[in-house]
Amino acid sequence: MTSDAKRRRALGQILLLAAGLLVLVVISAASVLLVNKARQDSALVVHTVEVENQINALLLELRRAESAARAYLLTRWPEFLTDHEQAVANIVPYADKLARFAADNPYQVDNVKKMRAAIDIRLDQFRREMEFIKRDEPASAAALVREAAAGNTNAIIRDITDKMHAEEGRLFDLRTANADRTQILASSVTIAGSCIVIALGAIAAFQVRRSTRVRDEAETKLRDLNVTLETSVQERTADLREANDEIQRFAYIVSHDLRSPLVNIMGFTSELDELRGDIFKRIAALSHIGSEAAALPENATDSAEPALEGADKQLSDDFSEALGFIKSSIAKMDRLISAILNLTREGRREFRPDRINTRELIEGIAATVAHQAAEANAQIRVEPLPDIISDRLALEQIFSNLIDNALKYLRDGVPGDIAIRGRTKLGFAIFEISDNGRGIDPKDHQRIFDLFRRAGTQDKPGQGIGLAHVRTLVRRLGGTMSVASELHKGSTFTITLPVNWAANRKADS
Amino acid sequence: MSNPVTIIMIEDDEGHARLIERNIRRSGVNNEIMPFTNGTDAVSYLFGPDGSGIDQKGQALLILLDLNLPDMTGIDILRRVKENKHLKSTPVVVLTTTDDSQEIKRCYELGCNVYITKPVNYESFANAIRQLGLFFSVIQVPPAIA
Repeated sequence: MTSDAKRRRALGQILLLAAGLLVLVVISAASVLLVNKARQDSALVVHTVEVENQINALLLELRRAESAARAYLLTRWPEFLTDHEQAVANIVPYADKLARFAADNPYQVDNVKKMRAAIDIRLDQFRREMEFIKRDEPASAAALVREAAAGNTNAIIRDITDKMHAEEGRLFDLRTANADRTQILASSVTIAGSCIVIALGAIAAFQVRRSTRVRDEAETKLRDLNVTLETSVQERTADLREANDEIQRFAYIVSHDLRSPLVNIMGFTSELDELRGDIFKRIAALSHIGSEAAALPENATDSAEPALEGADKQLSDDFSEALGFIKSSIAKMDRLISAILNLTREGRREFRPDRINTRELIEGIAATVAHQAAEANAQIRVEPLPDIISDRLALEQIFSNLIDNALKYLRDGVPGDIAIRGRTKLGFAIFEISDNGRGIDPKDHQRIFDLFRRAGTQDKPGQGIGLAHVRTLVRRLGGTMSVASELHKGSTFTITLPVNWAANRKADS
Repeated sequence: MSNPVTIIMIEDDEGHARLIERNIRRSGVNNEIMPFTNGTDAVSYLFGPDGSGIDQKGQALLILLDLNLPDMTGIDILRRVKENKHLKSTPVVVLTTTDDSQEIKRCYELGCNVYITKPVNYESFANAIRQLGLFFSVIQVPPAIA
């Protein structure tokens, strides 16, 4: 997965979350608003219903008062009087209550006022009727009832209440419609919001599933890789080891096969040398016979140094010279092949880790070269060194090579000073072998570690093998080596070796 | 000893063979030398067509053996000779370029009588061969078992 796609996916998820949040907020706000609106609408509807109730209640009380008054007039039963008085007592508070309810609507306020006037007239008529009855003038009371009926007060009240009913009915319809609309709106908003949220949720779920799948795939891949990695590392290590063994065998075989023809060349060159001796003896003898007939032939053939003269002697010398070059070259070639053989043999030797008192080991080496050191007027100082676990023979070869080199390449006329120092750092022991000898030109620092390569004045015998060998050994012991040197200012060879080679090796295998 | 010793020389390098022969002659050994330049021929001569070695029963032989042969290793020939009931008493001189101590040890373990490394230095080579000639003249090749 590319990083671009990753970023895009992350952005998409953030946007999705943001959209979901926004939708939720909008829905919540809309719901709160709409619910409030719906409550208000409902309150208004209830209000309308209450107003109507109140109108009906008022009308009922009026009718009750009227019918009770008429019944009292007819029967003179005090129960009717009580009933009438109760109804009359209710009328004014009911009217007041209606006025309070209808106070929000100016049209209804107007109606209430008109109705109030009509009610007052009607109440006054009731009071007068009751007085006539009390004074025992039923005729006057009946006349008043008739007058009241003719006076149309009831009709006026009925008209007004009808109007008020009509108005409240209109309001009721309006408000109900409003409430319905609000509810429909609220449910629409809720449904739409839910749909959007569900859609967003579906998208999110899809994305989560997709990324989960991608992650699962990646995890599986990682697990597979981990499993195969170990195998491939082991395979690679085995391959490398095999390749290394192959090189070792190859070098070994090559050196043997190179040596075989060399035996022939050397052998037949020596045979030629013998033949040369015989030939020139005969030439000498023949020339002697030619010049001195008296000479004894057996003397001539037996003489170790046949007397050759002029051109013959020149020929013999050329012959010897040529054979000499061939022989010295063969000898050199043989030494080189032996060196390769020794190196490969070293490479094949199994190292045995051993606890080594390094200082003791190096002092032992110094003791064996003490004679050379005395001859070269040099001192060897061995400072305290860390003990390590490593191969004893390899370490002996490493240090004796380096100390030999230091002794070999001292500056003429300057007393030699060779110091061996050591310290440990992070599980590695660092050894320094420094001298005040002739030094090595920085451009040769790499070259001196190559096989058959040497640097500086070639006035000492050597094959150019020592340092190559030392470096091979150090590497096999899991270490590194380097040189710091300047011409005429001495050299310092630094060797870094693991303190516990065996432990490292166990970890490897 | 009515049977003169025959020297079986198994050496693939003809130059080496010639040098060895010359130096043997120089040291005054005049026995018959049978050269073989590869292991197969030598093996078929030594062990016969049936591989039993019965043909060489009673023959006084001495084997000069090179280890690096083109078709097989001298070690195999040495092992077969020393395991064969008719040939096991035949002296074997291993003469080769290898001076690996493991290899030398192995040859002696298999029953080689003398191991000589071919040196490139001709004087020591000639010397070694001459000493070998001396060795031939003093060792008693076991008489054929009747």
